[in-house]
Amino acid sequence: SPYQDRPWEYLESEEYRAIYGDNPVWHGYHRNHKGSVPPQRTRKACLRRGRHVGNPCPICRDRNLLVDFRNVKLLDQFICPHSGVIFHPIHTGICMKQHKRLSQAIAQAQDHGLLWLQVPFVPVPDEDFSNRHAAVGKTPPAPALKGPDRAWYPWYEWQQPPATKVARMRRLYRGFLKENYPDTPPS
Amino acid sequence: GKAAKPKPAFTDEAVQTLLYKMTGLDLHKVFRPVKKGLKPPSYKLMTEAQLEEATRKAIEEAKAKLIMPPVLNEREPIDDVLAEDKVLEGTETAKYVFTDLSYSIPHRERFIVVREPNGVLRKATWEERDRMIQIFFPKEGRRVIPPTLFKDENLGTVFQQDRHEDVLNMCIAQFEPDSPDYIRVHHRTYEDIEKHAKYDLLRSTRHFGGMVWYLVNRKKTDGLLIDMINRDLLEDATSLITLYHMLHPECQSAKEAKEGKLQGVDLIKVFVKTESQREGYIQLALQAYEEAMATSSAS
Repeated sequence: SPYQDRPWEYLESEEYRAIYGDNPVWHGYHRNHKGSVPPQRTRKACLRRGRHVGNPCPICRDRNLLVDFRNVKLLDQFICPHSGVIFHPIHTGICMKQHKRLSQAIAQAQDHGLLWLQVPFVPVPDEDFSNRHAAVGKTPPAPALKGPDRAWYPWYEWQQPPATKVARMRRLYRGFLKENYPDTPPS
Repeated sequence: GKAAKPKPAFTDEAVQTLLYKMTGLDLHKVFRPVKKGLKPPSYKLMTEAQLEEATRKAIEEAKAKLIMPPVLNEREPIDDVLAEDKVLEGTETAKYVFTDLSYSIPHRERFIVVREPNGVLRKATWEERDRMIQIFFPKEGRRVIPPTLFKDENLGTVFQQDRHEDVLNMCIAQFEPDSPDYIRVHHRTYEDIEKHAKYDLLRSTRHFGGMVWYLVNRKKTDGLLIDMINRDLLEDATSLITLYHMLHPECQSAKEAKEGKLQGVDLIKVFVKTESQREGYIQLALQAYEEAMATSSAS
């Protein structure tokens, strides 16, 4: 479709005006069903396995109408102007797949601020904002860090092992140690 | 010299009474119809006394709706380390967040800590805290991830639709009053209103007080003064100037007003001569107001 990148331009064009005039896109669409009461769900999709069904829904029958969160004019046509609620697909006649995409696009547009959204009245919070409690304020440093070591656990820094253990290791590996091997490693 | 008096805060009684007077109480705007599910209207037949009682109740409800949200400084970031256990390094690949879920403690006293993969146990940052509290204790109107319309690019589109009040209501629902996002959105809104002189959008809402406080602290009161004089709200103009003098007592017009104990239009004239940048406009507006008063009193 030529309006792939800018879907909102189609709704201002001469073509659109000639086909739809001032009515919404779904005006005058009639579903084909047996009896006076239509099925309480429209068809699942108008395009299945690459084939179009007969009497496609108002959005699928016009290849220039693209459901995008940016063309607010098209999305507005599917929202009730009095109550702010999305019309049921039985009322407009669109297929379920398009209805799902339309609801997602409307939610996205409301999220971006392009569409009006009903804001609930939230009363002003009445709590203590001083942030003095230990959960959100400063805690004093741990006692382990105050001492001369300044490490969380004493074994984080190298400690001199007891002399008996050192002597045992030396006796065990005496054939392999280098001469003048030091007790303390060089830092 | 004499000891400096402490600067008046937003919560002082005098300040709050002035701001409340300036906000006004238009019942038609506070209780205007809202888009919701349609139902047939209900009619009531009332005597005069019952009507007065109903208006009195409506005014009380409106006062509850007009309580001003608090104006606080930005909160300080939390970066406290509780423990460091290098033995745990390399055992996990993801952070673990531990939240205290006791029901009866206020959210600001809730302990939320994070164990990082390198073994450090630290307190969660403010953003993490807000997210976790919203997940476990969901509040109405607040989402776990804030809507994209609070980003700077998208705020412009909303301001073009004149929906400043909606933005501020959503901001109160979404963010805490001392979070940097709340303060940023509010400042942006006030700046936009002041730039386009759309002060009337916030009159009779709970956000008007905050806006006046912001403008008076930054000495940008000219547009608001012109708007008030154009709508013949002289008492509001005088209360605005008294608030200005309370907050900036060392300025010249404050000293002159204190010496001369000026009231009403004289106060405005002194203020206009010394402190305002747009003198010409305000003089014109004052002239138009005085002419209107003269013709109405003459006829």
